[in-house]
Amino acid sequence: MRALLVALLVAAPAAACELPGGQAHKIQSAHYLVLYRTQPAPLKVGQHFAVDFAVCPAPESVRIDAGMPEHKHGMNYRPTVTATGEGRYRADGLMLHMAGKWELVFEVRAKDSVERAVQVIRLE
Amino acid sequence: MKRIAFLLLVLCAPALAATFTDDEARKIQSHGPWPAPWKSDPSNRVSGNENAIDLGERLFFERRLSVTGEISCSRCHLPERNWSDGLPRAVGLEEVDRNAPSVVNVRYHRWFGWDGAHDSLWAQSINPILDARELGMSAASVAKFIRGDRDLACRYRKTFGAAPGGDDERILVDAAKALAAFQETLVSGRTAFDEFRDALARGDRAAMARYSENAQRGLKTFVGKGACDTCHTGPAFTNGEFHDTGIAFFVRPGEVDPGRYGGIKKIVSDRMNLLGPYNDDAKRSTATGTRHVSLEHRNFGEFKVPSLRNLESSMPYMHNGSLASLRDVVKHYSEISPDRLHSDGEAILKPLHLTDGETADLVAFLQTLSDRGGRYQRRPFPEDCR
Repeated sequence: MRALLVALLVAAPAAACELPGGQAHKIQSAHYLVLYRTQPAPLKVGQHFAVDFAVCPAPESVRIDAGMPEHKHGMNYRPTVTATGEGRYRADGLMLHMAGKWELVFEVRAKDSVERAVQVIRLE
Repeated sequence: MKRIAFLLLVLCAPALAATFTDDEARKIQSHGPWPAPWKSDPSNRVSGNENAIDLGERLFFERRLSVTGEISCSRCHLPERNWSDGLPRAVGLEEVDRNAPSVVNVRYHRWFGWDGAHDSLWAQSINPILDARELGMSAASVAKFIRGDRDLACRYRKTFGAAPGGDDERILVDAAKALAAFQETLVSGRTAFDEFRDALARGDRAAMARYSENAQRGLKTFVGKGACDTCHTGPAFTNGEFHDTGIAFFVRPGEVDPGRYGGIKKIVSDRMNLLGPYNDDAKRSTATGTRHVSLEHRNFGEFKVPSLRNLESSMPYMHNGSLASLRDVVKHYSEISPDRLHSDGEAILKPLHLTDGETADLVAFLQTLSDRGGRYQRRPFPEDCR
């Protein structure tokens, strides 16, 4: 099943899903809870950043991407995702290079399904 | 009497021609403060080093750094022309395909050259030295020149801690790092816009009112209807990235300039890049962009977003110097045809349909991004190097 859910800051069942190291944003999609934190924060236009995140339950694989739907383009950089264990990951090499509305997308894969959890970010 | 009364009325009138919303005020303040803080380049071990700056300045104006002994870096980067040359396309030993970008504020860049084919200022500085159409040298000829000149060899030793040795490529890279150290010192001064921006930040309406009325209206268009700050972001008025702006990229019949598409192909295969052996930073802390840059078909015909600081004196404009004046640039964006943009590219630019008044105001605003500082003067050099 493919689902697209725009970001929700959810009072989610986070007890079983943790991202150690401080406060995290939460995105709830149909079957997954994504917790994430950017480094650095807050984000600035044209600045590289990394994302520490957790996906619960742990998927087979996960990709991260970002784009500006209204401008019909993505990032100029291809991030890499490294699993750090227990459903947690580190993504490096992201950059939002323009001011405006972006979507940060976590694409979670398990068996035959692909599910997307999306966070809307507005940059000035 | 009537005339005096009118003058008094004008002088006493509220001089803020434009009112700014909170959103606009935030956007305006994001273009400062200026100058941005100094950070040395970790990939260059002599960044900020006084001896390197001295050596780099000498090399920048050194005609013997060309194969003919007749031209130097300053052939295309003239101090009196905002470190550009005033020509549509730069002319070294031959004419090249692009406009000579200014080297002012170059220390703030992430990518270098219109296509971003280099990821450090020192690697970019190697390019014109070796390009057959620019200075036409080789690593061997640069090394031979520096080794053979007693004064330069002495300054090389003072900068790098050892006399120029037998590794020609190492000497070429070191010379480029000294050139980079000098160019890092070229920073534009404060402008009328900076005074307005800072006054806005501290709520000083009297100081804000000293900013010309048409510039205020132009600024409002810049951050509003024009949305120019979508790409011209931050204190340097550039996001440092690449876009297709509908400028023709044919360099001659049947030959196109691939822009960023070619730049990415070059950077990922360049052994002088920040992932290569000449990066002095073992952590590769500034190499994130090089490590992750992504080649897409849409990059074809994209060129770097230039800084808008000091642009008044760096005409003509665009990557090929095809627009002669600021008014031409504004009219280009006002009347741009979406048909001239890539069908698979970004959907950012739309014709702005500016009125003549809005065009004049926007030009007036852009003119306030140029400093009125003193002219560059070469440092007094010590006579001898010992």
